[in-house]
Amino acid sequence: MAEESVLTDDFLRQLINVGEVDILVGLPTYNNARTVGPVIEAIRAGIVKSFPRERAVIIDADGGSQDGTPDLVTGASINDVRHASNLYALRTLHSISTQYSDTPASGTALRTILAAAELLRARACAVISPDSTTIEPEWIPRLLRPISHEDFDLVTPVYRRHKFEGLLMRNLLYPMTRAIYGRRLREPYASEFGFSGRLGSQFLGQDVWRHEASRTGTEISLTIAAITGGYRLCQSFLGPKIHTDRSSSDLVPAMRQTVGTLFWSLEATFPAWSTSADLQTVPTHGCEYEVTQEPVRVNRKRLYEMFCSGVGELAPVFSSILSAGTLAELQRMASLSEGDFRYPAELWVRTVYEFAASYHKSVISRDHIIQAMAPLYRGRMFTFLGENRDASAEEIENSVEMLCHEFERLKPYLLEIWNGRE
Amino acid sequence: MSLTQDALWHKDAVIYQVHVRTFSDSNGDGVGDFQGLAQRLDYLQELGINAIWLMPFFPSPLRDDGYDISDYESVHPAYGTLEDFKKFLAGAHERGIRVIIEMVLNHTSDQHPWFQESRSSQNNPRRDWYVWSETDTRYRGTRIIFVDTEMSNWAWDPISKSYYWHRFFSHQPDLNYDNPAVREQMWNVMKFWLEIGVDAFRLDAVPYLVEREGTSCENLPETHAILKELRRKVDQEFPGRMLLAEANQWPADLRPYFGDGDEFHMAFHFPLMPRMFMGLKLEDRKPITEIMQQTPEIPASCQWCLFLRNHDELTLEMVTDMERDYMYDVYAGSKSMRLNLGIRRRLAPLLDNDRRRIELMNGMLMSLPGTPIIYYGDEIGMGDNIYLGDRNGVRTPMQWSGGWNGGFSSADPESLYSPLLLNPVYGYQAVNVLSQKRTEHSLLSWMQRIIRVRRSTRVFGAGSIEFLYPANHRVLAYVRQLGNETVLVVNNVSSSAQAVELDLRRYKGNILIEMFGRNIFPRVGDLPYLLTMGPYQFYWFRLRRI
Repeated sequence: MAEESVLTDDFLRQLINVGEVDILVGLPTYNNARTVGPVIEAIRAGIVKSFPRERAVIIDADGGSQDGTPDLVTGASINDVRHASNLYALRTLHSISTQYSDTPASGTALRTILAAAELLRARACAVISPDSTTIEPEWIPRLLRPISHEDFDLVTPVYRRHKFEGLLMRNLLYPMTRAIYGRRLREPYASEFGFSGRLGSQFLGQDVWRHEASRTGTEISLTIAAITGGYRLCQSFLGPKIHTDRSSSDLVPAMRQTVGTLFWSLEATFPAWSTSADLQTVPTHGCEYEVTQEPVRVNRKRLYEMFCSGVGELAPVFSSILSAGTLAELQRMASLSEGDFRYPAELWVRTVYEFAASYHKSVISRDHIIQAMAPLYRGRMFTFLGENRDASAEEIENSVEMLCHEFERLKPYLLEIWNGRE
Repeated sequence: MSLTQDALWHKDAVIYQVHVRTFSDSNGDGVGDFQGLAQRLDYLQELGINAIWLMPFFPSPLRDDGYDISDYESVHPAYGTLEDFKKFLAGAHERGIRVIIEMVLNHTSDQHPWFQESRSSQNNPRRDWYVWSETDTRYRGTRIIFVDTEMSNWAWDPISKSYYWHRFFSHQPDLNYDNPAVREQMWNVMKFWLEIGVDAFRLDAVPYLVEREGTSCENLPETHAILKELRRKVDQEFPGRMLLAEANQWPADLRPYFGDGDEFHMAFHFPLMPRMFMGLKLEDRKPITEIMQQTPEIPASCQWCLFLRNHDELTLEMVTDMERDYMYDVYAGSKSMRLNLGIRRRLAPLLDNDRRRIELMNGMLMSLPGTPIIYYGDEIGMGDNIYLGDRNGVRTPMQWSGGWNGGFSSADPESLYSPLLLNPVYGYQAVNVLSQKRTEHSLLSWMQRIIRVRRSTRVFGAGSIEFLYPANHRVLAYVRQLGNETVLVVNNVSSSAQAVELDLRRYKGNILIEMFGRNIFPRVGDLPYLLTMGPYQFYWFRLRRI
């Protein structure tokens, strides 16, 4: 039976009307009516001001919104029937929408955007998160210009973040991706990024889409594909990024989407990362990574408690994932008082690598492996927050850098356990 | 064939614009003349046009290609005599071709006897025929039109030791229309030519007739009053004659020139032309439809005059700065192609000599609401010479054949008023009437065909227009309608093949008949009407309910 197309007939009809474009901006949406208005305004202004002569389209890949999000996106078109009140556009700007499914899946949304980009032969593309309320029109050229003008293939963002935001990125995703693949990319899993048409086409053609993991977290797969495929990477400073409030119950899905995909990607790219040793700096446009110091309330005690209870309850699971030494050390730490508790960097890296190897070997259900990691990550967060409670931006950077070195130093350990120990 | 008695003839006209100097030289002196032009009338009749617009042919120092007139009631000796003109006029009329001549109302040459008298003394009776001032500070709100050459609208006259007003070159002093004697004299000039039999005037630079302090000195009510008076006299004494306004203005500012059908019969639609070129390059109909949306309704007896190119630069006055920058970049990469606020190039070089684009642009010219004007030589795809000064690069001799001087003149090539085009792409040996007449699929043959189809129905000249706005923005589609006749026009302004769905539900049951090949297309039903179109392709369909 033929594989079902990601493009509906109605969407295809819309794409026919758009025709070939130079610039494509994709929005993966799902019930974002509360925030998408200003985002779409900024995208439109960014395109009209920075790319007035280029053929451009905004594409909304919607996961079944019930709040009118697609109408808000399509209402941003500028053409000879609908004029933008505050903008003058030299040419038509299409803003179209398609519903790829009844349930949201970021991977499917990205696939829809990639498919549209390939059909429209877009040269430079960007994906923008519909809840990026801090977006400015300048984000559009910052993500697209390195592609359209300097021939880069992937532009990942650099944000100005609060020092206690993006902890998963700082404690796992960034340092591990950097150690494994040898690129200093601050946001390997980004909700905003730019990519070239050729990278998009190459990625669309990979067989990643057949796997369950492709439903979510494909953004990090795209980054890894760009690295391992030898594409030109750069970073672009976008400015402040504020995440909408997330409860602690969001952690497991977030880890599934990011850490799970990262672990999953390690298998297919093993030949590339197992032999590469170089660490390369990635060119950055605009400012370097920035941290702000406003106070943020974090319930550290709760993190500690969740670590302790997790280590106790999941001991049978951990015994099939972790080495005996690592597990013993974690159990010892769980017995410590809150004041004495500390999850050192080396042990954290060993833990992560052992989880990655176990994921590779599927010692138990892969989803359970990722779920089991959540309490341990909370323990690491407890330590990171405690160690950096009064740290300056520079001191935090040093702390992250030290963790990166630890991931790099222990990379041979990952290689050792990857196929070695059962 | 003779002229039809139709007061609205201008609505169904296809006009051919030519300068007598450029067309055909009968006496071998290197300059085109009226006898030569008369000898080429059969060619114009075969082409299918039914009106000729002649650029100025009056005695002149020719410092502005004849728009600097030194005698309004005669013919420049280089072009022949008044008798020659009359014979040409009779020949045109015999072939059903009307003749439109230039009338430069706003200014004269500084060599005109009127100005010589005016400057001769403060007390001369003609002193007040021009606009004089002791200072150069009056009318400061007035823009300078020829920004590349003029620093001010005032020029110092060393003879009368005062300043005179000029909106164009400083050797073209503006007449003073506040003086009743001037108004009377200019009507006498027009009457002179109307009595000879000319069918229409193209009135040059009409927005600038009157000056008033604190205004832009353009489009003033006093100017309109003068023009209405001229129209009244024309209608009263010479019914059926036509006035065409040259006013490079936005459509809303142009609208008053039609009055209530009591001022001009026709006016050039200047802003449309650059937007047709822009739409083609952008591969987007938006510039065209937007300017058409801004085009006001005009009285039923009036008409827009449409053109792709003419004797001047492709003017970019009526576009935004962003659009102008774009047009310069895509159509005038070399600085030498630019002049004032425009691009001094002919149609074929502007379109990279791409036959498909030339045909599409002519297709739109012939089907949008208005009377089309074809600039001489564009029907065979003549090129230009950007190395000649001013706008002379688009005013080179007509290329009739691959022979001596391209068949234009028997003079020594060095004595021609302008060098012929010689390059291998656009030179007269490659592009000429004779060779194209021998080929059924030449541009000339195609132009004959499209003019014939255009003139086969009155719907293009007098019909209403309704844009369809299909979702595919690369397709410009509109319906022209007059009485029971309906024509659907679909243009693909892009360089790639397109599929387009047209909402034709209101024409359900009609059969589409393609007007060039007369082939039948499927009947219109309930579903969107799907058309596939090749790059730069266009269709004209007659809708028939049979």
